[in-house]
Amino acid sequence: MRVTQGTFSFLPDLTDKQIKAQIQYALDQGWALNVEYTDDPHPRNTYWEMWCVPMFDTKDAAAVLLEVNECRKVYGNMYIKVNSFDNSRWRESQSMSFIVNRPKEEPGFGVARDAGPGRSLRYRVHSYATDKPEGARYK
Amino acid sequence: MAELKGADRYKAGVLEYKQMGYWQPDYVPKETDVIALFRITPQPGVPADEAAAAVAGESSTATWTVVWTDRLTAADTYRAKAYRVDKVPNTDDQYFAYIAYDMDLFEPDSIANLTASIIGNVFGFKAVKALRLEDMRMPVAYLKTFQGPATGINVERERLDKFGRPLLGATVKPKLGLSSKNYGRVVYEALKGGLDFTKDDENINSQPFMHWRDRFLYCMEGVTKAEAATGEVKGTYMNVTAGTMDEMIRRAEFAYELGSVIIMIDLVIGYTAIQTMAKWARQHDMILHLHRAGNSTYSRQKNHGMNFRVICKWMRMAGVDHIHAGTVVGKLEGDPLMIKGFYDTLRDPHTPESLEHGLFFEQDWASLRKVMPVASGGIHAGQMHQLLHYLGEDVILQFGGGTIGHPDGIAAGATANRVALEAMILARNEGKDYMAEGPDILAKAAKDCSPLQKALDTWKDITFNYESTDTPDFVPVETPSI
Amino acid sequence: MAKPGTADETEANGTDAPEQPIPTELDLEEEFQRSDIQSVLDQLDRELVGLASVKMRIREIAAMLLVDKARRQMRLETEPPTLHMSFTGNPGTGKTTVALRMADILHRLEYVRQGHLVSVTRDDLVGQYIGHTAPKTREVIKKAMGGVLFIDEAYYLYRPENERDYGQESIEILLQVMENNRDDLVVILAGYANRMETFFKSNPGFRSRVAHHLDFPDYSAEELFKIAGLMVAQQQYILSDSAAVALREYIPKRMRQPHFANARSIRNAIDRAKLRQANRLFAGRGKTKLTKNDLMTLEGADFRQSRIFDEPGASGAAGDHGSTKQ
Repeated sequence: MRVTQGTFSFLPDLTDKQIKAQIQYALDQGWALNVEYTDDPHPRNTYWEMWCVPMFDTKDAAAVLLEVNECRKVYGNMYIKVNSFDNSRWRESQSMSFIVNRPKEEPGFGVARDAGPGRSLRYRVHSYATDKPEGARYK
Repeated sequence: MAELKGADRYKAGVLEYKQMGYWQPDYVPKETDVIALFRITPQPGVPADEAAAAVAGESSTATWTVVWTDRLTAADTYRAKAYRVDKVPNTDDQYFAYIAYDMDLFEPDSIANLTASIIGNVFGFKAVKALRLEDMRMPVAYLKTFQGPATGINVERERLDKFGRPLLGATVKPKLGLSSKNYGRVVYEALKGGLDFTKDDENINSQPFMHWRDRFLYCMEGVTKAEAATGEVKGTYMNVTAGTMDEMIRRAEFAYELGSVIIMIDLVIGYTAIQTMAKWARQHDMILHLHRAGNSTYSRQKNHGMNFRVICKWMRMAGVDHIHAGTVVGKLEGDPLMIKGFYDTLRDPHTPESLEHGLFFEQDWASLRKVMPVASGGIHAGQMHQLLHYLGEDVILQFGGGTIGHPDGIAAGATANRVALEAMILARNEGKDYMAEGPDILAKAAKDCSPLQKALDTWKDITFNYESTDTPDFVPVETPSI
Repeated sequence: MAKPGTADETEANGTDAPEQPIPTELDLEEEFQRSDIQSVLDQLDRELVGLASVKMRIREIAAMLLVDKARRQMRLETEPPTLHMSFTGNPGTGKTTVALRMADILHRLEYVRQGHLVSVTRDDLVGQYIGHTAPKTREVIKKAMGGVLFIDEAYYLYRPENERDYGQESIEILLQVMENNRDDLVVILAGYANRMETFFKSNPGFRSRVAHHLDFPDYSAEELFKIAGLMVAQQQYILSDSAAVALREYIPKRMRQPHFANARSIRNAIDRAKLRQANRLFAGRGKTKLTKNDLMTLEGADFRQSRIFDEPGASGAAGDHGSTKQ
């Protein structure tokens, strides 16, 4: 399967050049960017690990790509995404998010169903990756 | 005739509204006044200022005859004041009347109370041939009594973990007749294919062919399976519209128990029901989608009824998170300038006066959250560049037919829309002139995505070029330089 | 390992514009005009007195880059030029100003994308404890990306006397970036000529990565006097005749003092004179009204109160000397 979180997951994987162009767009809006990674891309896993805090004083996309590539060196077989943060009043939230790295094989998720009263079902979306202990996933 | 003062004003009998003090050309509205702008078409022989005074009177304290009990009140405060009348450009018999109301005429946090005055009896009043409420200015203090959108654009995006692009949706079709199991199939396919939301239509409630509980149950199966298939948060707007408030709450609670992120209501349930559901939604971490069913009965004709931008204002105050607000390019009514006015009203923290967009007043939104506009009706992937250009990033693009009508199936239709959208955002951010290069960008993206190619081939020539009926009265003209 | 998008810097991406045809001829003058480098060179001439050799080198570098660009348009073999530089010279000889203009020139010729200058010293790059240096250096590099990183007194990065000095860690990161990110960042190392020489000897990696060495000579007394004139005018002051005479006497005396820092010492001397002028005008208050001219004029006495005139040849006690920094 292919996790389709983030803005460009339905396109062919972005090249570094394309990633740089997206980063530069965010920088030109005055947004700060960071890089995050995880081995558990569950749709409600809100907090991926921060590879670095948002870079507030960066002017050029190469600086952010540098961190992306450093992160790939260490976590090349995990999910890595680039986020941008807009601190302007009335937003003060994330403004972009896209995946820039994925594991070789994406095991995906299963749905567990517990029958409740009547016809109701309790659903649990389960990350197959988490069947293995942390550190042993995506080996 | 001039305004009468003192005992003369309250002599029993019938007076002109102007004489009663409803026409005050020197009045300067207070920061705390509610201001309404009406388009008035007076009956032949009724002067514009008398007609304006009549509207002010009938929408506030007046009755057809003088009553002595007025003198027991601070009547000068409670009387609405028509303070300005302008001829509508390019018309013979229409006038814009500005009327100021003291804030204390209205109960806090009640759209019903506000509307009972502003669009109450006055619309049937004989002295005017036609009457349309064009715009309102709400004082900040009054806005602060309203909850505003239950969720708002920023929090909705954080909950869905989707940033930097419009969201995608589709209304399940056919509107009527599907069994609940077949209905849930459409939900699953569309969400798995790449849409963020699917939607019940406005008139899907609980009919003989599909009971609402069955629909909710099967839809939730579709939503959950699609979440597992994609790793994304997905939702389907479960329409809880019903005959009674109790029944609506019951349906909303069932959606909540099932784990839905969103419910839906129709505009026809009424303002009080909408406010109730907005408060319920805030209490239950639920996004609240509003379908504007019924609005065109009173918003479409230029001389009578009310402008949709007023509905936008009321709905932001009432607290919905989504509202259908036009597409510019689709099958439903929508002049581009007017639609920009609606979208700004829903999304901006502060809207300046802008006559060309139909915004007659500067409006500070007092930190009420932002409503996500929904563009729905006759739009397809081939228009992606235009949609992004006219509607921006904070919008839900609903491709009902444009998803379900895809020759290769629903999931393929959804994928075509998502790929078209992502390719367009990518190109825009790269600094491309995406409006001009739009068709090229889509053609290029279609090389890696055959569903998109098929979508472009199927709908390539579909456009809806009808004249809009609700058009701007003011067109920008160059100021001659002296 | 699946690393989409890492191996591609050379390969064209799907959304690139089609390649442009090779032009048959190029107008170098047109390119030169379009880049508007002349305005930067003019600005340098206005800002900096003398420095003929430095200005010549800058023109040469600009010409080389312009031709390099033209060669690339003709698809001729071109190595991406190495643009890292070293600026050597005593304090106050204009190194920072030239670095700023250099960033501007590189930006106009599209050799750096943003054109800003980030100026740092050892303290900004090297940490105090284990694990502190790498993030610090990376932070600076990231800020400077797309522009020019100016490292003043670069030799302090290297402290041979201390085996466990963290400077070495910073040097290694810098060397790596100077090699791998030549498109993203230009590094200028600056400092005293002799110390830079020692530094390059012990760090050959730097020498091989630095393509342009610019030496900034000390100013002559006459040049310093001109610089003083520029500074005074810039601040909307004027020198009276007596002040001009005093300043001409002052400059060679100051040059013989320790801690002489060229233009910087002159700036300090003028600041002192401004202070004394203010004192003088304040002391005379109530006696006469001030004219605009009074407020602008520095008098001879404003300079002659300097201790340099009291103690001819005295060392270390001069009231006006600036330290080597600031």
